[in-house]
Amino acid sequence: MQILIYGTINSVALALFALGFAMVYGVSRLPNFAHGALYVLSGFITWTLINSLGLNYLISIVLAMIATGIIGALIYQFVLIRIRGMEISEIMASYAMGLAILEGLRWGGFKGMTYTLPAFIEGSTSIAGVSVDYQRLLVVGIGAAVVALLWLFTRYTRIGLALRGMAQDERAAMMLGIDSDLMAVVAMGFGSMLAALAAICLLPLGNIVVEAGYNVLILAIAVCIVGGLGSWVGAVLSAFLIGFAQILTVVYLGAHFQMVVALLAIILTLILKPSGLFGRQKELEERV
Amino acid sequence: MKTCRLIIFTAVLTIALCLSFGNMAHAAKPVVLGCPLSTAFLYGWDAERGFKLAVEEINASGGVKVAGQKRPFKVEVIDTRDLEPGVPVSEALLAVEKLILDKKADFILGGPVRSEAALAAMPLLSKYKKVSILTTGVLTPKYHALVAKQYDKFKYCFRIHGEAKNLVGEMFANFTELKEKHGFNNLFIIAQDVSHARGAAKVMNSVATKKGWNVTGVEIYPTGATDFSIGLLKAKKTKSEIINIWMDMPESAILLKQWYEMRIPALPFGSTLAAAEQPGFWKATGGKGEFTLCNVVNAGNAPSNATPWTMKFYNAYAKKWGVEPEGLGTSSSYMAVYVLRDAIERAGSLDPDKVVAELEKTDIMGVYGRLRFDPKSHQVIPATDPQEGAVGSILQWQAGKRVVVYPKSIATGSIQLPPWMKK
Repeated sequence: MQILIYGTINSVALALFALGFAMVYGVSRLPNFAHGALYVLSGFITWTLINSLGLNYLISIVLAMIATGIIGALIYQFVLIRIRGMEISEIMASYAMGLAILEGLRWGGFKGMTYTLPAFIEGSTSIAGVSVDYQRLLVVGIGAAVVALLWLFTRYTRIGLALRGMAQDERAAMMLGIDSDLMAVVAMGFGSMLAALAAICLLPLGNIVVEAGYNVLILAIAVCIVGGLGSWVGAVLSAFLIGFAQILTVVYLGAHFQMVVALLAIILTLILKPSGLFGRQKELEERV
Repeated sequence: MKTCRLIIFTAVLTIALCLSFGNMAHAAKPVVLGCPLSTAFLYGWDAERGFKLAVEEINASGGVKVAGQKRPFKVEVIDTRDLEPGVPVSEALLAVEKLILDKKADFILGGPVRSEAALAAMPLLSKYKKVSILTTGVLTPKYHALVAKQYDKFKYCFRIHGEAKNLVGEMFANFTELKEKHGFNNLFIIAQDVSHARGAAKVMNSVATKKGWNVTGVEIYPTGATDFSIGLLKAKKTKSEIINIWMDMPESAILLKQWYEMRIPALPFGSTLAAAEQPGFWKATGGKGEFTLCNVVNAGNAPSNATPWTMKFYNAYAKKWGVEPEGLGTSSSYMAVYVLRDAIERAGSLDPDKVVAELEKTDIMGVYGRLRFDPKSHQVIPATDPQEGAVGSILQWQAGKRVVVYPKSIATGSIQLPPWMKK
């Protein structure tokens, strides 16, 4: 039972880490290596709004998500748009932006282990004899809601449909009058907001530290590569695959090997099926 | 009129001369203390603050007397980043070399902070004949064992804070007390996947078994792990009464929060448990860290009256930095500067071999007791009585305060159990 409960929690956390990354890549083919940094940044923005400006927690969350979304969009508009299509440059530039954000936070004095966000609901319960806290259960609920809303958004809203159109075939989308650059900016903004949402759900479980940015990035990349770059459904399924594999590893092999799972998943996927479970990139090359 | 001008001129001249004589120590060439520290982490910045406080005090009193001349100390810090995940040892070595070659450090104080990096830096210190005093992080017993084994090569290396074996002994003294008082017998060990913690977990496991404890499990978590639920559930399932934690990564706060939320009936007893060492821990966890115990290695890193200097240092640090001494490297870093000054003044020179010889003869009463180095291994001599040697400090969070519970000679309270553990 503990494997089922904590496997699900871990999987949803991984899905939350990865959804923003998958969305940006899906729409604009941009591997956003600043994703982890935006995750951490949103945590510190929320913390500052609550502790320095004394704002209400809920208002702080909303403002932090909007601010992170705007920062993501600005990064795209002023930095990444100039090198769009040059994949190596995109990786380097976005990683540099991420580094600048993380090191800037550190330079600004955001170091140490005392930056925390309050849990939405305090306390814990027991499910079939397994103790689990309410915040983690809430994470599962929010994760499920996000996936559902994302599905509805991309099918029943104009912007969502435009994003899907871009993800499916950029040239065809442009012929239908969809502004490719604008949609890429929107995707980056939404992707960054999803990173912020993940941070706001998961950071109350521990503390906000700069180093988390690197871990989140690695996990998001692992999930997206296994699921197939650009596939949101693939990202969710892969999150469950890696999430449960990690928990099974901790239970049967030891926690020591936990991080190996994600890295091993990347290597195996790249060897056996480079396009991932649901990815279309390189499919043609694989067939050839 | 002329007389008046003459008086004013004489007065101004006298004041100027007094000021220039007063500042002579500062005008002299400074003695450079190179500090390779992982400054973004607790065990880095606490040491830096400790050094700067001591240097400020010493310089205010005229500086260090070298061959009849008073010279000020100057602190040069380079970030080694060696506490970051992945333990980038090469970067730490570069920092040490840069301090020696570029910053012209006369002595190396502080780190590197991670054991792996400190061990790798030893040959470098020998190559440049730089006297080094480790003051933070590095707990591996290998360090002073290497000095003892290859004295001629590594004689420039000293360590002024406690090491893992000593910490293990201190913790077992408490475990024994808990066994006698509450009948505890099951011990679960959680460690971070880094050299000193893995080593300590191994030693704990072996010593505990020999002492008749039932070691119910050992979990090694990679640096950066963010979920400890399975390990905690294993501890609960195996009816463990103590969870011994060796973890300096920031995520250890997650472990303690999970422990509280899950009401795990086992006392979290940590060493190098960085998250719980900081005074801000209580607020950061919303009180969920209550009952957590941690070894802060030396007295002075938590409030006690180990020696008359302890609270004097404690209050001076709090006044200067606006926060109480925070981590395990604070009091030792502060004392390292005083110990070095003492050795330099006795040596009357900055010559490394002469300073090494004088450091070996060190015997001063400091913030955490009587400070002496073992002349063979250059490890500070530990004790449970501050009159005999360097005393450790184990604290427990009780009602928002860091209460020292060990050693008994300096304790300000006793170990409390969480309500869900009381029978």
